Amino acid sequence: MQGVRIQQEMSLFEKLNILSDAAKYDVACTSSGTDRRGDGKGIGNCKAAGICHSFSADGRCISLLKILFTNECIFDCKYCINRASNDVKRASFTPDEVCRLTIEFYRRNYIEGLFLSSGVLKSPDYTMRLIYETLWKLRQEYHFQGYIHVKAIPGASQELIQMTGFLADRMSVNLELPTAESLRKLAPHKSRKNILGPMRLVQNKREENKQEIAVYKHAPRFVPAGQSTQMIIGATPESDYQIIHVAESLYQKFQLKRVFYSAFIHVNEDASLPARTDEGPPLLREHRLYQADWLLRYYHFSASELLSEKQPNFNVLLDPKCDWAIRHLEWFPVEVNRADYQVLLRVPGIGYTSARRIVKARKFGSLDFEDLRKMGVVLKRALYFITCKGRMMYPVKMEQDYILRNILDPREKLPGGLGEMGYRQLSLFDDVNFREVKAE
Amino acid sequence: MLKRRFICTDTTIGILSAIYDAWKMDRTDTEAGIPLWGTVQHEMFCEYYEVEENERKAGAVRKLIRERLGKQAYSDISYAILSKDEDKGTAILQTMVAARELADSHRIMEHLSHPAVRRVFEMSRNVGREAHYWEEFLRFREMKPKILYAEITPQNQVLPAIADHFADRFPLEDFVIYDKNHASYMIHPRQKKWMFMTDHEQKWEAAKELSEEEEAWCTLWKGFRKSISIKDRENKKLQTQNMPLRYRGDMPEYGKS
Ligand code: SF4
Repeated sequence: MQGVRIQQEMSLFEKLNILSDAAKYDVACTSSGTDRRGDGKGIGNCKAAGICHSFSADGRCISLLKILFTNECIFDCKYCINRASNDVKRASFTPDEVCRLTIEFYRRNYIEGLFLSSGVLKSPDYTMRLIYETLWKLRQEYHFQGYIHVKAIPGASQELIQMTGFLADRMSVNLELPTAESLRKLAPHKSRKNILGPMRLVQNKREENKQEIAVYKHAPRFVPAGQSTQMIIGATPESDYQIIHVAESLYQKFQLKRVFYSAFIHVNEDASLPARTDEGPPLLREHRLYQADWLLRYYHFSASELLSEKQPNFNVLLDPKCDWAIRHLEWFPVEVNRADYQVLLRVPGIGYTSARRIVKARKFGSLDFEDLRKMGVVLKRALYFITCKGRMMYPVKMEQDYILRNILDPREKLPGGLGEMGYRQLSLFDDVNFREVKAE
Repeated sequence: MLKRRFICTDTTIGILSAIYDAWKMDRTDTEAGIPLWGTVQHEMFCEYYEVEENERKAGAVRKLIRERLGKQAYSDISYAILSKDEDKGTAILQTMVAARELADSHRIMEHLSHPAVRRVFEMSRNVGREAHYWEEFLRFREMKPKILYAEITPQNQVLPAIADHFADRFPLEDFVIYDKNHASYMIHPRQKKWMFMTDHEQKWEAAKELSEEEEAWCTLWKGFRKSISIKDRENKKLQTQNMPLRYRGDMPEYGKS
């Protein structure tokens, strides 16, 4: 255990560098899902809409102090920089160091809270206990009332996971890979069972907790912002169709709040990983999956409407909603002044906030295109699919090829260039200020 | 008939007092307007009134809005009042006039095809959006003796829109937020009620000296921001899109420390 000796001499700066660098491949950084005012006796509160405090050079939102407790690890997941067989510099925080960093960053409004994950030090239980101790200190001794997202370590005991859940706002267990087979191949120390096990536990405990709160208003809250997970995209051969199917069933069967997709990044040379190419991580694919994910969660689409065995992958040129609309012209055009809310949701260029505004505003009189524009509808896309008072905005041919040619915008509002993540999901939403939440 | 114009200062009390006067004179007048001092353009066939501004009038109008127009409209109007746009007083007044025509006046903010309602909605959204940005991007520095100090440069007068957020978040801190563009302060003494102050009333004199640890925390933060970014995904354009340059002036991660 040479690593331990080095640690003692390491400065906080060095540790933070190592342990944030090691945590960065976890994509979740949202601070949303729960509203909590401060009680006047500590520091911090939570906003359901979530708050980003900065953006890193890769354009991703920084909302939480995202760190590993330690990057020591006895496991050997092939895709992971911290795996046991890698020769990397190792470090571990102490619980107090994590607390001080969180509080001092929070006071300066750098962050919304803490995202604490960890490599597996000694054993899953040993690690989970350290995480628990850290959160306990942060809540009880430092009186921190801001957001905490914590990882459940696969293989840790139920009891520890439960105790930790009462201190955290969000908990997540990473699914890592879309299928059990891929998991076996790339993460030999993990199994579908000890990933889905804690997921189910958190789900059941949350249900129970809801009942408790209904009876005792002041009962402690268990993971109030719900749980999330993430899958690595492109390390294994699953199709988009398989992936969104998995996501859909996680939403339905485990009541997850979010599924995150993480484009595979080459950090290790390993025969079981795809060969390294010059193309970099599959960011555009990841972006399309996020867009489809929004459609599942907020737009009442089902996975099998979006893709099929025959068409197993998303169109790289078009966002999934537009792609769907063009393949279903028999639905269109729809009359904005009469169409159901559910139908409006399916119109490209109409986000769910504007759909809601339309339904309310049209009660006061018929709307025209100008009204729609003011309400945030992107007419450039919507015009092929709607009428106002029976008229289309311009005469257009209801033909797939014609619409496709016109709507294919080389400058599609992919957030800032090609294939980015789009945490603000500009291309799908009418409201730049949109955060995941309002509808959660 | 001459059009009525009620001139007031660009303050919440000013605008609410002007609404009070206009309402009192004729609450069905769809032509009445509220220009702000300093931006009045003389129009033909207008009658000008100088509004006497006071808290009593403002309070009465607040109550009226809350009761007649409901919570949603009250919150939209409170935000619209902070807007940088000069037509805000008129838009609010005309929204109130329009609400009288509705069977259920609480639904006024849904009536987006009415031009005044739409303006209030747009202004409220714009102020709300900017306030949210400042909640994200404002940075405190710790000054001696342990006071947190932040400066912002908003286009709208967002201070009242963000005050509660920070007061709730930091009840045990002494902190000050200074709006440079509108020369006003929010001052929050630890465990006490916060207040607003303008430069005219009192220049806030705090130690302008950073606390001993400030530099070190700032360095830790900069290091964190660097190491958390994934090299293979680097994308400055997306970064700029998400964090517009005009908010970066006072961030320690961009130079000035
Ligand atoms: S458990 Fe696997 S993914 Fe987690 S740190 Fe260890 S090697 Fe990496």
